[in-house]
Amino acid sequence: MQYLALLRTAESNRTPDPETMAAEMSAYEAFHTKAGAALRAGDALAPTEAGVRITGGPDAPAVTDGPFAESAEVACGYYVFEAENLDDALALARDVPAAKHGSVEVRPTYHSFDPDWSSAGAQWLALLLEPPTSAHTPGTPEWEAEAARHGEFAAAAGDHIVSGAALHEPASATTVSVRDNRVLLTDGPYPESAEVATGFYLLTAADRDEAIKLASMIPATTVELRQLMGVSGL
Amino acid sequence: MTNLDGVFRREWGPAVAALARWSGDLTVAEDAVQEAFAEALRSWPRDGVPDNAGGWVVRVARNRALDRLRRESVRPGKELAAVVDDIRARTDRVDVHPVRDDELRMMFTCAHPALDPTSQLALTLRLISGLSVPEISRALLQSQSAVGQRITRAKNKIRHANIPLRVPPAELLPERTPHVLACIYSVFTEGYWSTAGPSAVRDELCDEGVRLAGELCSLMPDDRDAQALAALVLLHDSRRQTRVDADGALLPLEEQDRSRWDRGRIARGPRPTRARCRRDGTLPAAGSDRRAACDRTELAGDRLEHDLRGL
Repeated sequence: MQYLALLRTAESNRTPDPETMAAEMSAYEAFHTKAGAALRAGDALAPTEAGVRITGGPDAPAVTDGPFAESAEVACGYYVFEAENLDDALALARDVPAAKHGSVEVRPTYHSFDPDWSSAGAQWLALLLEPPTSAHTPGTPEWEAEAARHGEFAAAAGDHIVSGAALHEPASATTVSVRDNRVLLTDGPYPESAEVATGFYLLTAADRDEAIKLASMIPATTVELRQLMGVSGL
Repeated sequence: MTNLDGVFRREWGPAVAALARWSGDLTVAEDAVQEAFAEALRSWPRDGVPDNAGGWVVRVARNRALDRLRRESVRPGKELAAVVDDIRARTDRVDVHPVRDDELRMMFTCAHPALDPTSQLALTLRLISGLSVPEISRALLQSQSAVGQRITRAKNKIRHANIPLRVPPAELLPERTPHVLACIYSVFTEGYWSTAGPSAVRDELCDEGVRLAGELCSLMPDDRDAQALAALVLLHDSRRQTRVDADGALLPLEEQDRSRWDRGRIARGPRPTRARCRRDGTLPAAGSDRRAACDRTELAGDRLEHDLRGL
Protein backbone atom coordinates (compact mmCIF):
# COMPACT_ATOMS: atom_id res chain seq x y z
CA MET A 1 0.00 0.00 0.00
CA GLN A 2 1.01 3.64 -0.20
CA TYR A 3 1.65 6.34 2.35
CA LEU A 4 2.01 10.08 1.96
CA ALA A 5 4.91 11.40 4.00
CA LEU A 6 4.75 15.12 4.74
CA LEU A 7 8.07 16.63 5.79
CA ARG A 8 7.95 19.54 8.21
CA THR A 9 10.74 21.75 9.41
CA ALA A 10 11.10 25.22 10.86
CA GLU A 11 11.22 27.71 8.01
CA SER A 12 14.13 30.11 8.30
CA ASN A 13 14.27 33.50 6.62
CA ARG A 14 17.88 33.17 5.66
CA THR A 15 19.13 31.16 2.76
CA PRO A 16 21.43 28.48 4.15
CA ASP A 17 25.10 28.72 3.19
CA PRO A 18 26.27 26.63 0.24
CA GLU A 19 28.00 24.06 2.43
CA THR A 20 24.87 23.36 4.45
CA MET A 21 22.88 23.15 1.22
CA ALA A 22 25.34 20.70 -0.29
CA ALA A 23 25.35 18.53 2.86
CA GLU A 24 21.56 18.52 2.88
CA MET A 25 21.38 17.59 -0.79
CA SER A 26 23.78 14.69 -0.39
CA ALA A 27 21.84 13.45 2.66
CA TYR A 28 18.72 13.33 0.49
CA GLU A 29 20.56 11.65 -2.35
CA ALA A 30 21.79 8.99 0.07
CA PHE A 31 18.25 8.49 1.31
CA HIS A 32 16.94 8.13 -2.26
CA THR A 33 19.58 5.54 -3.04
CA LYS A 34 18.84 3.58 0.12
CA ALA A 35 15.05 3.71 -0.24
CA GLY A 36 15.14 2.96 -3.96
CA ALA A 37 11.89 1.81 -5.51
CA ALA A 38 9.97 2.35 -2.27
CA LEU A 39 9.84 6.05 -3.20
CA ARG A 40 7.05 6.43 -5.73
CA ALA A 41 7.24 10.21 -5.78
CA GLY A 42 8.64 13.08 -3.80
CA ASP A 43 10.13 16.52 -3.96
CA ALA A 44 11.13 19.54 -1.95
CA LEU A 45 8.59 22.35 -1.73
CA ALA A 46 9.43 25.96 -2.53
CA PRO A 47 9.26 28.26 0.53
CA THR A 48 5.77 29.09 1.78
CA GLU A 49 6.14 32.70 0.61
CA ALA A 50 5.88 31.37 -2.94
CA GLY A 51 2.72 29.39 -2.12
CA VAL A 52 -0.90 30.36 -1.71
CA ARG A 53 -3.81 29.24 0.42
CA ILE A 54 -7.25 29.14 -1.08
CA THR A 55 -10.28 29.11 1.19
CA GLY A 56 -13.99 29.15 0.52
CA GLY A 57 -14.14 26.34 -2.00
CA PRO A 58 -14.82 26.48 -5.77
CA ASP A 59 -17.88 28.73 -5.43
CA ALA A 60 -16.19 31.60 -3.63
CA PRO A 61 -12.45 31.06 -3.57
CA ALA A 62 -10.37 33.55 -1.59
CA VAL A 63 -6.66 33.49 -2.30
CA THR A 64 -4.07 34.43 0.34
CA ASP A 65 -0.40 34.70 -0.55
CA GLY A 66 2.22 33.03 1.62
CA PRO A 67 3.94 32.89 3.98
CA PHE A 68 1.13 31.60 6.17
CA ALA A 69 2.91 29.67 8.88
CA GLU A 70 0.65 29.36 11.90
CA SER A 71 2.77 26.69 13.52
CA ALA A 72 6.48 26.39 14.29
CA GLU A 73 7.09 23.95 11.45
CA VAL A 74 5.83 24.12 7.88
CA ALA A 75 5.63 21.56 5.11
CA CYS A 76 8.92 21.56 3.23
CA GLY A 77 8.66 18.39 1.18
CA TYR A 78 6.71 15.23 0.50
CA TYR A 79 7.16 11.62 -0.53
CA VAL A 80 4.83 8.86 -1.58
CA PHE A 81 6.08 5.60 -0.04
CA GLU A 82 5.29 2.19 -1.42
CA ALA A 83 5.40 -0.04 1.67
CA GLU A 84 3.88 -3.31 2.68
CA ASN A 85 2.83 -2.12 6.12
CA LEU A 86 3.25 0.71 8.60
CA ASP A 87 6.46 -0.75 10.03
CA ASP A 88 8.09 -0.52 6.61
CA ALA A 89 6.72 3.00 6.04
CA LEU A 90 8.04 4.15 9.43
CA ALA A 91 11.44 2.62 8.65
CA LEU A 92 11.54 4.81 5.52
CA ALA A 93 10.30 7.89 7.39
CA ARG A 94 12.98 7.70 10.04
CA ASP A 95 15.64 7.82 7.32
CA VAL A 96 14.30 11.04 5.79
CA PRO A 97 16.90 13.70 6.62
CA ALA A 98 14.19 16.17 7.73
CA ALA A 99 13.23 13.78 10.57
CA LYS A 100 16.45 14.74 12.35
CA HIS A 101 15.51 18.37 12.84
CA GLY A 102 11.83 18.44 11.94
CA SER A 103 9.20 15.75 11.66
CA VAL A 104 7.67 13.43 9.09
CA GLU A 105 3.92 12.81 9.17
CA VAL A 106 3.07 9.41 7.69
CA ARG A 107 -0.47 9.07 6.32
CA PRO A 108 -1.96 5.96 4.70
CA THR A 109 -3.67 6.70 1.37
CA TYR A 110 -7.00 5.21 0.32
CA HIS A 111 -5.90 4.06 -3.08
CA SER A 112 -2.57 3.24 -4.59
CA PHE A 113 -1.21 4.85 -7.70
CA ASP A 114 -1.01 2.84 -10.82
CA PRO A 115 2.27 0.91 -10.98
CA ASP A 116 3.17 2.67 -14.23
CA TRP A 117 2.46 6.08 -12.83
CA SER A 118 5.23 8.64 -12.61
CA SER A 119 5.21 12.03 -10.95
CA ALA A 120 7.39 13.44 -13.72
CA GLY A 121 6.03 16.75 -14.92
CA ALA A 122 4.31 17.66 -11.67
CA GLN A 123 5.03 21.26 -10.71
CA TRP A 124 2.59 21.95 -7.90
CA LEU A 125 1.39 20.15 -4.80
CA ALA A 126 -2.13 20.97 -3.67
CA LEU A 127 -2.78 19.86 -0.09
CA LEU A 128 -6.45 19.57 0.83
CA LEU A 129 -6.95 20.75 4.39
CA GLU A 130 -9.96 20.38 6.66
CA PRO A 131 -10.71 20.99 10.33
CA PRO A 132 -9.69 17.82 12.23
CA THR A 133 -13.23 16.67 12.98
CA SER A 134 -14.78 17.04 9.55
CA ALA A 135 -13.47 13.93 7.81
CA HIS A 136 -16.17 11.87 6.16
CA THR A 137 -16.42 8.11 6.50
CA PRO A 138 -16.20 6.14 3.26
CA GLY A 139 -19.55 4.74 2.21
CA THR A 140 -21.62 7.53 3.73
CA PRO A 141 -23.71 9.78 1.44
CA GLU A 142 -21.46 12.72 2.43
CA TRP A 143 -18.42 10.78 1.25
CA GLU A 144 -20.11 9.88 -2.03
CA ALA A 145 -21.15 13.51 -2.60
CA GLU A 146 -17.61 14.65 -1.98
CA ALA A 147 -16.23 12.00 -4.33
CA ALA A 148 -18.63 13.25 -7.01
CA ARG A 149 -17.32 16.81 -6.58
CA HIS A 150 -13.79 15.53 -7.02
CA GLY A 151 -14.96 13.75 -10.15
CA GLU A 152 -16.16 17.10 -11.50
CA PHE A 153 -12.83 18.68 -10.66
CA ALA A 154 -10.98 15.86 -12.41
CA ALA A 155 -13.11 16.30 -15.50
CA ALA A 156 -12.53 20.06 -15.56
CA ALA A 157 -8.80 19.93 -14.85
CA GLY A 158 -8.08 17.03 -17.19
CA ASP A 159 -4.41 16.48 -17.94
CA HIS A 160 -3.38 19.15 -15.48
CA ILE A 161 -3.84 16.52 -12.74
CA VAL A 162 -0.75 14.35 -12.64
CA SER A 163 -2.18 12.35 -9.76
CA GLY A 164 -3.74 12.59 -6.34
CA ALA A 165 -5.05 10.53 -3.49
CA ALA A 166 -7.41 10.72 -0.55
CA LEU A 167 -5.89 10.08 2.86
CA HIS A 168 -7.26 7.98 5.68
CA GLU A 169 -8.57 9.83 8.74
CA PRO A 170 -6.04 11.94 10.69
CA ALA A 171 -6.14 9.48 13.61
CA SER A 172 -4.42 6.93 11.39
CA ALA A 173 -1.38 9.20 11.09
CA THR A 174 1.95 8.63 12.81
CA THR A 175 4.46 11.44 13.22
CA VAL A 176 8.12 10.46 13.21
CA SER A 177 11.11 12.42 14.40
CA VAL A 178 14.67 11.45 15.24
CA ARG A 179 16.58 13.17 18.03
CA ASP A 180 20.00 12.06 19.26
CA ASN A 181 19.65 8.93 17.13
CA ARG A 182 16.44 7.99 18.92
CA VAL A 183 13.27 7.53 16.95
CA LEU A 184 10.24 9.22 18.47
CA LEU A 185 6.80 8.17 17.29
CA THR A 186 3.66 10.17 17.98
CA ASP A 187 0.22 8.71 17.46
CA GLY A 188 -1.65 11.16 15.21
CA PRO A 189 -0.87 14.04 12.83
CA TYR A 190 1.53 16.88 13.44
CA PRO A 191 -0.01 18.29 16.62
CA GLU A 192 0.37 22.01 16.07
CA SER A 193 -1.68 22.46 12.95
CA ALA A 194 -5.27 23.65 13.15
CA GLU A 195 -6.13 21.82 9.95
CA VAL A 196 -5.24 18.35 8.76
CA ALA A 197 -4.59 17.07 5.28
CA THR A 198 -7.36 14.89 3.88
CA GLY A 199 -5.90 14.43 0.40
CA PHE A 200 -3.60 15.89 -2.20
CA TYR A 201 -3.22 16.52 -5.90
CA LEU A 202 -0.08 16.86 -7.98
CA LEU A 203 -0.70 19.42 -10.71
CA THR A 204 0.99 20.75 -13.77
CA ALA A 205 0.34 24.29 -14.99
CA ALA A 206 1.83 26.78 -17.47
CA ASP A 207 2.35 29.38 -14.75
CA ARG A 208 1.46 30.31 -11.19
CA ASP A 209 -1.82 31.96 -12.19
CA GLU A 210 -2.98 28.84 -13.94
CA ALA A 211 -1.99 26.72 -10.93
CA ILE A 212 -4.04 28.99 -8.66
CA LYS A 213 -6.97 28.80 -11.06
CA LEU A 214 -6.82 25.01 -11.03
CA ALA A 215 -6.42 24.78 -7.25
CA SER A 216 -9.41 27.11 -6.78
CA MET A 217 -11.63 24.48 -8.38
CA ILE A 218 -10.67 21.81 -5.81
CA PRO A 219 -13.53 21.03 -3.43
CA ALA A 220 -11.94 21.54 -0.01
CA THR A 221 -12.29 23.96 2.89
CA THR A 222 -8.69 25.06 2.38
CA VAL A 223 -6.20 24.24 -0.34
CA GLU A 224 -2.53 24.89 0.31
CA LEU A 225 -0.83 25.21 -3.05
CA ARG A 226 2.92 24.76 -3.04
CA GLN A 227 5.40 24.85 -5.86
CA LEU A 228 7.63 21.82 -6.28
CA MET A 229 11.35 22.47 -6.50
CA GLY A 230 11.97 19.73 -9.04
CA VAL A 231 15.18 18.72 -7.30
CA SER A 232 14.50 15.16 -6.22
CA GLY A 233 14.80 13.42 -9.56
CA LEU A 234 12.01 11.05 -8.52
CA MET B 1 -23.70 -24.63 36.70
CA THR B 2 -20.01 -24.50 35.85
CA ASN B 3 -18.30 -21.20 36.39
CA LEU B 4 -18.35 -19.88 32.85
CA ASP B 5 -16.56 -16.69 33.87
CA GLY B 6 -13.35 -18.58 34.44
CA VAL B 7 -13.64 -20.41 31.11
CA PHE B 8 -14.37 -17.15 29.29
CA ARG B 9 -11.48 -15.35 30.91
CA ARG B 10 -9.14 -18.15 29.94
CA GLU B 11 -10.37 -18.60 26.37
CA TRP B 12 -10.97 -14.98 25.37
CA GLY B 13 -7.41 -13.88 24.59
CA PRO B 14 -6.37 -16.99 22.61
CA ALA B 15 -9.67 -17.00 20.70
CA VAL B 16 -9.45 -13.31 19.71
CA ALA B 17 -5.81 -13.85 18.72
CA ALA B 18 -6.68 -16.88 16.58
CA LEU B 19 -9.55 -15.04 14.88
CA ALA B 20 -7.33 -12.01 14.32
CA ARG B 21 -4.79 -14.16 12.50
CA TRP B 22 -7.53 -15.79 10.47
CA SER B 23 -9.42 -12.60 9.55
CA GLY B 24 -6.55 -10.13 9.62
CA ASP B 25 -8.82 -7.70 11.41
CA LEU B 26 -9.14 -6.96 15.12
CA THR B 27 -12.70 -5.69 15.02
CA VAL B 28 -13.90 -8.74 13.15
CA ALA B 29 -12.07 -10.94 15.66
CA GLU B 30 -13.39 -9.19 18.74
CA ASP B 31 -17.01 -9.09 17.57
CA ALA B 32 -16.96 -12.72 16.46
CA VAL B 33 -15.60 -14.01 19.76
CA GLN B 34 -18.12 -11.88 21.59
CA GLU B 35 -20.89 -13.53 19.59
CA ALA B 36 -19.45 -16.98 20.24
CA PHE B 37 -19.46 -16.28 23.97
CA ALA B 38 -23.07 -15.16 23.77
CA GLU B 39 -23.85 -18.44 22.02
CA ALA B 40 -21.93 -20.33 24.72
CA LEU B 41 -24.01 -18.63 27.40
CA ARG B 42 -27.12 -20.00 25.71
CA SER B 43 -25.95 -23.52 24.94
CA TRP B 44 -23.38 -24.53 27.55
CA PRO B 45 -25.71 -24.43 30.57
CA ARG B 46 -28.02 -26.72 28.57
CA ASP B 47 -25.50 -29.05 26.91
CA GLY B 48 -22.54 -28.75 29.24
CA VAL B 49 -19.15 -27.15 28.60
CA PRO B 50 -17.50 -28.85 25.61
CA ASP B 51 -14.26 -30.75 26.26
CA ASN B 52 -12.30 -28.43 24.04
CA ALA B 53 -13.94 -25.15 25.00
CA GLY B 54 -11.33 -23.06 23.22
CA GLY B 55 -11.74 -24.94 19.96
CA TRP B 56 -15.53 -24.63 20.24
CA VAL B 57 -15.31 -20.85 20.75
CA VAL B 58 -12.98 -20.39 17.78
CA ARG B 59 -15.10 -22.56 15.48
CA VAL B 60 -18.36 -20.78 16.37
CA ALA B 61 -16.66 -17.38 16.19
CA ARG B 62 -15.33 -18.12 12.72
CA ASN B 63 -18.76 -19.16 11.49
CA ARG B 64 -20.33 -16.04 12.99
CA ALA B 65 -17.66 -13.88 11.39
CA LEU B 66 -18.25 -15.47 7.99
CA ASP B 67 -22.02 -14.97 8.29
CA ARG B 68 -21.50 -11.37 9.20
CA LEU B 69 -18.97 -10.71 6.46
CA ARG B 70 -21.32 -12.21 3.90
CA ARG B 71 -24.05 -9.86 5.06
CA GLU B 72 -21.71 -6.86 5.08
CA SER B 73 -20.21 -7.59 1.70
CA VAL B 74 -23.55 -7.26 -0.08
CA ARG B 75 -23.95 -3.76 1.35
CA PRO B 76 -21.60 -1.68 -0.75
CA GLY B 77 -19.43 0.91 0.86
CA LYS B 78 -19.47 -0.72 4.26
CA GLU B 79 -16.15 -0.60 6.01
CA LEU B 80 -15.85 -4.35 6.35
CA ALA B 81 -16.48 -5.06 2.69
CA ALA B 82 -12.86 -4.24 2.02
CA VAL B 83 -11.53 -7.13 4.09
CA VAL B 84 -13.98 -9.78 2.92
CA ASP B 85 -12.25 -10.91 -0.26
CA ASP B 86 -8.99 -11.06 1.55
CA ILE B 87 -10.43 -13.28 4.25
CA ARG B 88 -12.26 -15.50 1.80
CA ALA B 89 -9.08 -16.01 -0.16
CA ARG B 90 -7.31 -17.19 2.97
CA THR B 91 -10.12 -19.00 4.72
CA ASP B 92 -9.59 -22.41 3.24
CA ARG B 93 -5.93 -22.73 3.88
CA VAL B 94 -5.46 -21.15 7.29
CA ASP B 95 -5.79 -23.27 10.38
CA VAL B 96 -7.91 -21.44 12.94
CA HIS B 97 -7.02 -23.37 16.03
CA PRO B 98 -5.54 -21.19 18.72
CA VAL B 99 -1.77 -21.37 18.75
CA ARG B 100 0.45 -19.73 21.31
CA ASP B 101 2.22 -17.56 18.77
CA ASP B 102 -1.10 -15.85 18.15
CA GLU B 103 -1.01 -14.38 21.63
CA LEU B 104 2.51 -13.06 21.20
CA ARG B 105 1.44 -11.52 17.90
CA MET B 106 -1.43 -9.79 19.67
CA MET B 107 0.84 -8.47 22.42
CA PHE B 108 3.14 -6.86 19.86
CA THR B 109 0.28 -5.46 17.82
CA CYS B 110 -1.56 -3.96 20.79
CA ALA B 111 1.68 -2.43 22.11
CA HIS B 112 2.74 -1.01 18.73
CA PRO B 113 4.65 2.25 19.29
CA ALA B 114 2.58 4.04 16.62
CA LEU B 115 -0.29 3.81 19.11
CA ASP B 116 -0.52 6.15 22.04
CA PRO B 117 0.58 4.35 25.28
CA THR B 118 -2.86 4.71 26.86
CA SER B 119 -4.40 3.22 23.72
CA GLN B 120 -1.92 0.35 23.88
CA LEU B 121 -3.02 -0.31 27.43
CA ALA B 122 -6.75 -0.11 26.69
CA LEU B 123 -6.40 -2.32 23.62
CA THR B 124 -4.38 -4.91 25.54
CA LEU B 125 -6.94 -5.01 28.34
CA ARG B 126 -9.78 -5.40 25.85
CA LEU B 127 -8.38 -7.80 23.26
CA ILE B 128 -5.94 -9.89 25.28
CA SER B 129 -7.29 -9.74 28.81
CA GLY B 130 -10.94 -9.64 27.84
CA LEU B 131 -11.95 -6.81 30.16
CA SER B 132 -15.15 -5.05 29.13
CA VAL B 133 -15.18 -1.35 28.27
CA PRO B 134 -16.92 -0.47 31.59
CA GLU B 135 -14.26 -2.47 33.48
CA ILE B 136 -11.45 -0.71 31.63
CA SER B 137 -13.01 2.68 32.19
CA ARG B 138 -13.20 1.97 35.93
CA ALA B 139 -9.58 0.81 35.95
CA LEU B 140 -8.27 3.82 34.02
CA LEU B 141 -10.64 6.31 35.67
CA GLN B 142 -11.91 7.45 32.29
CA SER B 143 -15.43 7.66 30.97
CA GLN B 144 -16.80 4.65 29.13
CA SER B 145 -17.27 6.66 25.96
CA ALA B 146 -13.67 7.88 26.09
CA VAL B 147 -12.38 4.33 26.51
CA GLY B 148 -14.72 3.01 23.82
CA GLN B 149 -13.60 5.70 21.37
CA ARG B 150 -9.97 5.11 22.18
CA ILE B 151 -10.27 1.40 21.45
CA THR B 152 -12.24 1.95 18.23
CA ARG B 153 -9.78 4.56 17.06
CA ALA B 154 -6.81 2.28 17.76
CA LYS B 155 -8.41 -0.62 15.89
CA ASN B 156 -9.20 1.66 12.94
CA LYS B 157 -5.64 2.89 12.86
CA ILE B 158 -4.33 -0.68 12.86
CA ARG B 159 -6.62 -1.45 9.92
CA HIS B 160 -6.18 1.75 7.88
CA ALA B 161 -2.48 2.34 8.42
CA ASN B 162 -1.87 -1.40 8.11
CA ILE B 163 -0.08 -2.05 11.37
CA PRO B 164 0.91 -5.69 10.84
CA LEU B 165 -0.55 -8.36 13.11
CA ARG B 166 2.74 -10.06 13.76
CA VAL B 167 5.73 -10.56 15.97
CA PRO B 168 8.21 -8.11 14.44
CA PRO B 169 11.21 -9.49 12.56
CA ALA B 170 14.38 -10.07 14.58
CA GLU B 171 15.99 -6.75 13.64
CA LEU B 172 13.04 -4.81 15.06
CA LEU B 173 12.69 -6.80 18.29
CA PRO B 174 15.23 -4.82 20.35
CA GLU B 175 13.25 -1.63 19.86
CA ARG B 176 9.79 -3.16 19.94
CA THR B 177 9.97 -5.56 22.89
CA PRO B 178 10.38 -2.71 25.41
CA HIS B 179 6.97 -1.36 24.37
CA VAL B 180 5.38 -4.73 25.12
CA LEU B 181 7.15 -4.86 28.48
CA ALA B 182 6.09 -1.33 29.35
CA CYS B 183 2.51 -2.06 28.33
CA ILE B 184 2.30 -5.21 30.46
CA TYR B 185 3.92 -3.35 33.33
CA SER B 186 1.24 -0.68 32.94
CA VAL B 187 -1.46 -3.32 33.30
CA PHE B 188 0.11 -4.35 36.59
CA THR B 189 0.88 -0.90 37.95
CA GLU B 190 -2.56 0.44 37.08
CA GLY B 191 -3.82 -2.10 39.57
CA TYR B 192 -0.96 -1.96 42.03
CA TRP B 193 -0.08 1.70 42.40
CA SER B 194 -3.52 3.09 41.95
CA THR B 195 -4.53 5.82 44.34
CA ALA B 196 -8.18 4.99 43.96
CA GLY B 197 -8.07 2.40 46.74
CA PRO B 198 -8.56 -1.33 46.64
CA SER B 199 -11.27 -2.74 44.44
CA ALA B 200 -12.01 -5.95 42.62
CA VAL B 201 -11.03 -4.58 39.20
CA ARG B 202 -7.70 -3.38 40.57
CA ASP B 203 -6.90 -6.79 42.02
CA GLU B 204 -7.84 -8.18 38.67
CA LEU B 205 -5.35 -5.87 36.92
CA CYS B 206 -2.58 -7.03 39.24
CA ASP B 207 -3.43 -10.67 38.52
CA GLU B 208 -3.60 -9.94 34.81
CA GLY B 209 -0.26 -8.13 34.84
CA VAL B 210 1.35 -11.12 36.57
CA ARG B 211 -0.32 -13.50 34.11
CA LEU B 212 0.74 -11.52 31.00
CA ALA B 213 4.31 -11.17 32.24
CA GLY B 214 4.42 -14.93 32.80
CA GLU B 215 2.92 -15.57 29.37
CA LEU B 216 5.47 -13.31 27.72
CA CYS B 217 8.26 -15.19 29.51
CA SER B 218 7.07 -18.53 28.27
CA LEU B 219 6.56 -17.14 24.75
CA MET B 220 9.99 -15.49 24.70
CA PRO B 221 12.03 -17.76 26.97
CA ASP B 222 15.36 -16.32 25.84
CA ASP B 223 14.43 -12.69 26.41
CA ARG B 224 16.04 -11.56 29.63
CA ASP B 225 14.05 -8.36 29.84
CA ALA B 226 10.85 -10.38 29.81
CA GLN B 227 12.21 -12.55 32.63
CA ALA B 228 13.14 -9.44 34.58
CA LEU B 229 9.69 -7.97 34.13
CA ALA B 230 8.05 -11.16 35.37
CA ALA B 231 10.39 -11.19 38.35
CA LEU B 232 9.61 -7.59 39.10
CA VAL B 233 5.84 -7.90 39.04
CA LEU B 234 6.02 -11.06 41.16
CA LEU B 235 8.21 -9.25 43.67
CA HIS B 236 5.76 -6.36 43.94
CA ASP B 237 2.83 -8.67 43.95
CA SER B 238 4.21 -10.77 46.80
CA ARG B 239 3.54 -7.69 48.95
CA ARG B 240 0.13 -6.86 47.58
CA GLN B 241 -1.78 -7.98 50.68
CA THR B 242 0.45 -6.06 53.11
CA ARG B 243 0.57 -2.75 51.27
CA VAL B 244 -2.45 -1.25 53.00
CA ASP B 245 -3.62 -1.27 56.59
CA ALA B 246 -7.09 -2.19 57.76
CA ASP B 247 -8.40 1.23 56.72
CA GLY B 248 -6.97 0.98 53.24
CA ALA B 249 -4.14 3.47 53.82
CA LEU B 250 -0.81 2.73 52.12
CA LEU B 251 1.89 1.34 54.40
CA PRO B 252 5.58 2.06 53.83
CA LEU B 253 7.80 -0.95 53.22
CA GLU B 254 9.31 -0.85 56.74
CA GLU B 255 5.92 -1.06 58.42
CA GLN B 256 4.63 -3.97 56.39
CA ASP B 257 4.18 -7.38 57.98
CA ARG B 258 6.89 -9.29 56.19
CA SER B 259 5.68 -12.62 57.46
CA ARG B 260 2.66 -12.14 55.19
CA TRP B 261 4.68 -11.60 52.03
CA ASP B 262 4.03 -14.28 49.48
CA ARG B 263 7.19 -16.40 49.59
CA GLY B 264 5.98 -18.51 46.70
CA ARG B 265 5.92 -15.49 44.38
CA ILE B 266 9.34 -14.34 45.51
CA ALA B 267 10.69 -17.83 44.87
CA ARG B 268 9.13 -17.93 41.41
CA GLY B 269 10.30 -14.51 40.33
CA PRO B 270 13.23 -12.51 41.70
CA ARG B 271 15.39 -15.35 43.00
CA PRO B 272 15.93 -17.27 39.78
CA THR B 273 16.42 -14.02 37.88
CA ARG B 274 19.02 -12.73 40.27
CA ALA B 275 20.82 -16.04 40.19
CA ARG B 276 20.84 -15.94 36.41
CA CYS B 277 22.25 -12.41 36.46
CA ARG B 278 25.02 -13.35 38.78
CA ARG B 279 25.94 -16.17 36.46
CA ASP B 280 26.49 -14.03 33.39
CA GLY B 281 27.40 -10.86 35.20
CA THR B 282 24.95 -8.42 33.61
CA LEU B 283 21.79 -6.88 34.87
CA PRO B 284 18.66 -7.84 32.99
CA ALA B 285 16.74 -5.19 31.14
CA ALA B 286 19.77 -2.94 31.01
CA GLY B 287 20.31 -0.78 27.96
CA SER B 288 19.18 2.28 26.14
CA ASP B 289 16.48 0.56 24.10
CA ARG B 290 14.36 0.00 27.12
CA ARG B 291 14.71 3.60 28.12
CA ALA B 292 13.46 4.64 24.73
CA ALA B 293 10.19 2.90 25.43
CA CYS B 294 9.99 4.02 29.03
CA ASP B 295 10.39 7.70 28.30
CA ARG B 296 7.34 7.66 26.10
CA THR B 297 5.22 5.72 28.56
CA GLU B 298 3.89 8.09 31.15
CA LEU B 299 2.07 5.37 33.02
CA ALA B 300 4.84 2.96 33.73
CA GLY B 301 8.07 4.27 32.34
CA ASP B 302 9.72 5.96 35.25
CA ARG B 303 8.64 3.28 37.62
CA LEU B 304 9.87 0.46 35.43
CA GLU B 305 13.22 2.17 35.03
CA HIS B 306 13.50 2.87 38.72
CA ASP B 307 12.24 -0.47 39.92
CA LEU B 308 14.42 -2.53 37.63
CA ARG B 309 17.47 -0.70 38.87
CA GLY B 310 16.64 -1.79 42.38
CA LEU B 311 16.15 -5.40 41.46
